[in-house]
Amino acid sequence: MKNYYNPIFLLCLLAGLMSCEKEDSVFEQTADERLNATLADYQSQLSGAPYGWKGVIYPGAGGVYSFYFEFGDNNRVTMYSDFGLESAATPKESSYRLKAMQTPSLIFDTYSYLHVLADPSGSVNGGENGDGLKSDYEFSFQPNPDNPDELTLIGTKNQTRLVLIKATQEEAVAYDRGDLAKSFVFSNIGKYLTYFKRITLEGKEYEIAVNQIARTITLTWLEGSTVSSFTTAYYYSSTGVSFITPFVNGSVTVNGFSNITWDETKLSLGFTAAGTSLVVKEAAKPLKVDVDAPKRWYNAALAEDTYWVSETGFHLNGVDDAFNVNSLTNGTAYYYFYLYWPGYGPNYDGFGPVFVNDNALALYYLDAPGTPTFTNDGRVLFSGLGTLGTYPTSGPALAIRDYLYGSSGFYLIQLSDTTYDMVSADDAKGWIHWEK
Amino acid sequence: MRFISRYTFVLFIPLLVWGFASCKEEPLGDVEAISGLGGDVVVPTAIDNWLMDSITVPYNIAFKYRWDQFEFNDVSKTLVPPDEQKIIPLAKVVRSAWIKPYIDQVGLVFFNKYSPKFFVLSGSVQYLSNGAVVLGQAEGGRKIVVFDVNNFITKQEAGYVPARDSAVVKEFVHTLQHEFAHILHQNILYPVEFKTVTAGLFQGENWINVSNTEARQDGFITAYASSGFDDDFVETVSIMLIEGKAGWEAILNAIPEGVSANGTSKADAVAKLRRKEALVVSYFKTAWGIDFYELQARSRAALQPLL
Repeated sequence: MKNYYNPIFLLCLLAGLMSCEKEDSVFEQTADERLNATLADYQSQLSGAPYGWKGVIYPGAGGVYSFYFEFGDNNRVTMYSDFGLESAATPKESSYRLKAMQTPSLIFDTYSYLHVLADPSGSVNGGENGDGLKSDYEFSFQPNPDNPDELTLIGTKNQTRLVLIKATQEEAVAYDRGDLAKSFVFSNIGKYLTYFKRITLEGKEYEIAVNQIARTITLTWLEGSTVSSFTTAYYYSSTGVSFITPFVNGSVTVNGFSNITWDETKLSLGFTAAGTSLVVKEAAKPLKVDVDAPKRWYNAALAEDTYWVSETGFHLNGVDDAFNVNSLTNGTAYYYFYLYWPGYGPNYDGFGPVFVNDNALALYYLDAPGTPTFTNDGRVLFSGLGTLGTYPTSGPALAIRDYLYGSSGFYLIQLSDTTYDMVSADDAKGWIHWEK
Repeated sequence: MRFISRYTFVLFIPLLVWGFASCKEEPLGDVEAISGLGGDVVVPTAIDNWLMDSITVPYNIAFKYRWDQFEFNDVSKTLVPPDEQKIIPLAKVVRSAWIKPYIDQVGLVFFNKYSPKFFVLSGSVQYLSNGAVVLGQAEGGRKIVVFDVNNFITKQEAGYVPARDSAVVKEFVHTLQHEFAHILHQNILYPVEFKTVTAGLFQGENWINVSNTEARQDGFITAYASSGFDDDFVETVSIMLIEGKAGWEAILNAIPEGVSANGTSKADAVAKLRRKEALVVSYFKTAWGIDFYELQARSRAALQPLL
């Protein structure tokens, strides 16, 4: 009898095994359960930070921008941004959500200060129409289980990197007090009358140049007689200005500037760097003159039979476009840019405004400087041979010409292969930006 | 023995069957735990509640303003979500300038039966490679995508600049009327004669190179109207609704004297537009029982205070 039963039991067992073979996964939970748990973890990490998060984002179009986020557990986020003074001073609330996309993702899903960078309208952020600053507001989390105080996110569309670091109580108080906006006093460095500015750190003199559009700081110094330079991106924080790359030179390490002060009457900026309190000083000359720069500038355009372009004309004594060349018109044609054209004629160059008439470029008159003189101390001197066309007898075109000829020449500062700044050698209080 | 053997079969066969069946009947598992199934869940805000009470419940229309890339046709384009402050003003314009005139004229049942049900909002315009921008899109009579919401500002709000902003509001209502007219003619076709009024003058894809003035000289109310029969019809309807009777007459009167590039005289162009107007009016009467001139007066009156 027992024997009789066995095969049937076996069959029954076998049937049970085959049909009910459950997914014996290496995981204890299903993929959905694990995904939901991960999202919940990120959610509690974001909204659980008692003092919010500091964020730094690196948009594709360049520059670095800092943020301060406070995530609630109700899909609401409040932020400050160092994009501009207003967004640094006024908090803005918007919506966010976590979502399982290809990977766990954080989506800022209504307009916020973060979207200002990504906005495709150039009028919003100064980027190209259609692209903006190539930033993101939809991010995927990069796993970083070892350090719960830091999160790295990568943008879905433009692969923008956003790094979040847990803020301290002190920082949270500072952001809510408006300290981020106070850090913007640093931008007053653009009000210095001279092109060249210097600071002294631990007995060494540094030239400091700040590009507020690209958000970079360049420090230049002399090692013996050789010029060294260091450039870092920077952003504003609740304590001042922070460097992306710390500056290290011997015993000096600078992570940023704090305690920034600005004296509007003296036009003087002070701050603390590497523990030393210092003041930015004006300088009439570069630390070391780049003697060959004027020739390089001249020959670069001459060799390609092209010209240097400046849309804004001269900045002089703290005034942009001091000669107001942007107001020039010729009949219905309006001003587009000023050019300097080396080798325009057989023994003369061209210097004059270019207009737009009926969607086409038009040149109505030109000043004809002779081939410039390049001095041994690295200056370029211009002098006029005559004019072409009907040159105005008054107004901006005359004033800018007089300035070009009247001073004791210019230094050329090379910024890149295609950009130079031409700075008055008189007092460094007048300069023009050339690009090719 | 025999008895036992029978017993076992009786006992075990059902057991076996049950064994197979039990696996098939096993529950599907935690279906509700699938992430994102049924849409994203967010904590409703005051805006969500307002939209639910004021638009979704009465008119069965949903507004999606939280960012979802996949609601937009071209995922390669850079867009941004709308600013929350713009949502309710925009929805109020939808209600007052488009929904209400139709309901007042024809009734709630008609409107709810045919209206598009789903609005998707983008904060910015969509830039095209030729430098043009997209302000609105409609898909399949159900979904309307509205761009440039962050620049949407009505007369009632602070910071309104008429020269800049009234065109945005007007274009927005134009889009709504345009898409709704498409839905109407897709349900009941307009008179075939409409296609013959400006036969031979349609521009097709070339419409983007034609100005509104040039199109009007040929008897089309806008350049886009010259792109095809259906758009000719809905552009005629929507321009009549947003411009009102007086505005329509003003457009006809402003057609320049002389002959168009295609040889249409002003008198001929005006006659063609008048014929289209008459066909629109008769279509609305016979197809839908709507007095078009009354609807036109209501629509224009509703739009006027916003401009």
